[in-house]
Amino acid sequence: MITYSEHKLSNGLRVVANRDRLSALAAVNMLYCVGARNENPSRTGFAHLFEHLMFRGTRRIPDFDLPVQRACGENNAFTNNDYTDYYITLPKDNIETAFWLESDRMTGLDITEEKLETEKSVVIEEYNQRYLNQPYGEQWLLLRALAYEVHNYRWPTIGLTPEHVREATLDDVRAFYRRYYEPSNAILSVSADLDPEEVFALAEKWFGGLESSPAPVDTLAAEPEQRQARRLEVERDVPAVQITIAFHMGDRLSRDYYCGDVMSDLLAGGTSARMYNELVRRRRLFSGVNAYITGDVDPGLFVMNGQLMPGVEIASGEEAMWGELERLANEPVSAEELEKIRNKFEANMLYGELNVMNKALNLGYYAMLGDLELVNSELDAYRSVGASDIMETAGRLFRRENSSTLVIRGGRD
Amino acid sequence: MAPDRSRQPEVVIPQNVGIMNAELYGSPAGVRIYSLRAAGYGVVRVSFVFRAGSAWQTVPFCASATANNLSEGSRNMTAVQIAERLDYYGSYFDVSIDRDWSVVTFVCLTRFFDDTMALAKEILLEPAFPEDELRVYCDKSRQNLAINRTKVDFVARELFGRSIYGASHPYGVSSPESAYDTLSRDDVRGFYGKFYTAANCFVVVSGDVDDKKLETLARFVGELPTGAAVADVRFPEPAGVARAEEEFPKAVQSAIRVGRVLFPRGHADFIGMQVVAMALGGYFGSRLVRTLREEHGYTYGAYSAMVNFDRSGYIAMATEVGAQFTDAALEDIMAEVEKLRREEMPAEELALVKNIMAGEVMRIMDGPFGVADVTIENLQNGFDNGYITSFIEQVRGITPQRVRELARRYLAPEDLTTVVVGARR
Repeated sequence: MITYSEHKLSNGLRVVANRDRLSALAAVNMLYCVGARNENPSRTGFAHLFEHLMFRGTRRIPDFDLPVQRACGENNAFTNNDYTDYYITLPKDNIETAFWLESDRMTGLDITEEKLETEKSVVIEEYNQRYLNQPYGEQWLLLRALAYEVHNYRWPTIGLTPEHVREATLDDVRAFYRRYYEPSNAILSVSADLDPEEVFALAEKWFGGLESSPAPVDTLAAEPEQRQARRLEVERDVPAVQITIAFHMGDRLSRDYYCGDVMSDLLAGGTSARMYNELVRRRRLFSGVNAYITGDVDPGLFVMNGQLMPGVEIASGEEAMWGELERLANEPVSAEELEKIRNKFEANMLYGELNVMNKALNLGYYAMLGDLELVNSELDAYRSVGASDIMETAGRLFRRENSSTLVIRGGRD
Repeated sequence: MAPDRSRQPEVVIPQNVGIMNAELYGSPAGVRIYSLRAAGYGVVRVSFVFRAGSAWQTVPFCASATANNLSEGSRNMTAVQIAERLDYYGSYFDVSIDRDWSVVTFVCLTRFFDDTMALAKEILLEPAFPEDELRVYCDKSRQNLAINRTKVDFVARELFGRSIYGASHPYGVSSPESAYDTLSRDDVRGFYGKFYTAANCFVVVSGDVDDKKLETLARFVGELPTGAAVADVRFPEPAGVARAEEEFPKAVQSAIRVGRVLFPRGHADFIGMQVVAMALGGYFGSRLVRTLREEHGYTYGAYSAMVNFDRSGYIAMATEVGAQFTDAALEDIMAEVEKLRREEMPAEELALVKNIMAGEVMRIMDGPFGVADVTIENLQNGFDNGYITSFIEQVRGITPQRVRELARRYLAPEDLTTVVVGARR
């Protein structure tokens, strides 16, 4: 259970505070409601490039990291399809440094042609390191493009191609900053041993004077219902065949989210899960298996994948995966197995509340979803998923015409 | 009131980092049980630490196979039953293994403590190592290793180990994937019998700990077989080479590692060299990051760290750079090392490094379990948690002259090994 208080500044900045009486640290999290979903299709990867630029200094503070480090702190950031998140942890007594820095870079970013060029190279190397120079690294590039035809989720955060990053201009940077980096489009969340009123006073002091226009609204084209099975097989320099099957499902606040999460746990949540027991341990078809949901804000994907053992036919591997999906749709889950999943969710939720960083991150995320209370009530939503919900959801989602299958295999020898 | 944006708000540098000492609860059968009480979180963590790392094995992959198969079936339960029960309680179970140690950790909700410890007992005292489960494990580990060996950074890490210690040294050896095929149940059972003993173990409990839980724990730990003292492994002198390369024709990036063998944590210069490593590549804005990433855009990341083993230790600088930048990056790395040896570090930079190191210690210890990790590492190295206080004091006492002196003594270019894995240049 995470206790919290909320406050909204007149410029629209939302502030959430949790008091942690045991920690000597403060976590300050700044979430901007902008991600790869908001990108121009010919400038994909831009939200993430922009996140890098937010560390390249402002008119007043040329180096962002230095003051954090001087204050014994640490900071970082990440971008996904839906939002961009910046976080700082530092000794509680130094919390004001975080407010000073975050309020400064919300308005005073100073990007030159030279800084932009260097950061573009860094991001292209990140592209190389994480996507092109890894076995199966292209998985998400290929899978998103296969599963989505219309919605902006059809490209990953890193972008469709390094070319898009290379072509970004200073004008793009200015326009993006002006449109999305506004107090009204941001959420500040803090966890520390501080009275929430103190946190709100600090927020008023550092952010209260910033001007804001109304939060931008981007209307995204919805993905039409998929009516035909899709399939892509590619050859890459990989030692084992990897099969991935993705299905469209509901959005983050729908019932599908909870049912999908429970189903992915039944299939692949740990070594007692069905896929591991059946496909790895008993039948020895795969060396590793996984299932998960993307959990995006808009309708997302249910994904299952696995790497085949040498000599196993692709068709047998796929058939075995489908067998597990059909079992979910046709056989009711036992009370005991369901209780296991519920206990796991409860434990994981508790394990996730053990430090200030996780709490600040969670509060920002749920505020972004528009329902802060979910941070504590979500366990009930999981607990309410019953055997019949699972059969109904599995039957509706796991149809061939709702599937996208990606096979990455080694060259023929 | 408008805030003063022209300068950084005043900062306070924590002068000492509060850390509780682990309380020695008892030594049933000679196994020391240490407790770190942090009530109110609703969770308990128990870590069993065995001196059973891969340096002790005589058969390749035997140490990790033993650790990872402890939970794959016991005298009374099948692997599936054990996994089912652990998951049913929502208990987190993890095995980690390095060259010296294996650590078996359970984290559970307070109300499932007794149930989880009953499983811990099956796992640690009664493992059966069924042949079937061992073969599944070997097959999938073999394939996962093959996949990892298509990654330049993984291959560079292995090649670096062989290049600084020698290909057959216990701290440097890497084995072919095919060795998984010949690993036998007898190898694993033999390793278990020899190393998973009371004489070879200590336990650290943290979180919602009370006397009743400690009693439960002590009762089963007392049943660990005493075990005979383990004969020392032969540790040859490291036999390093100056340079090693491996070609990955299609790689778009090269993985680079530069470094050398130094000494274990107990050495008088270890903490000093941690400061040196931190300044070189331990934080965002460190010298290597500034040069390779922020100035040139050669890489997404560059790092440097001191790594400690029980009887040795090394320093490594590591990065993955665009293949076309490989030579330029190597030059830059050596130039940064040279600069550290030539010029005194500006006082301001050193102060920053010290603050970062103090902050890092605080962050590691946030939450009820961080202090358990620190305690385990201290105990492994023969220290109590007073080490943290003396660590902070020693870091604070380091001068720019001392940094240069250490760099001159330990980072002479002719003593460094360079490893490159990537496209032909």
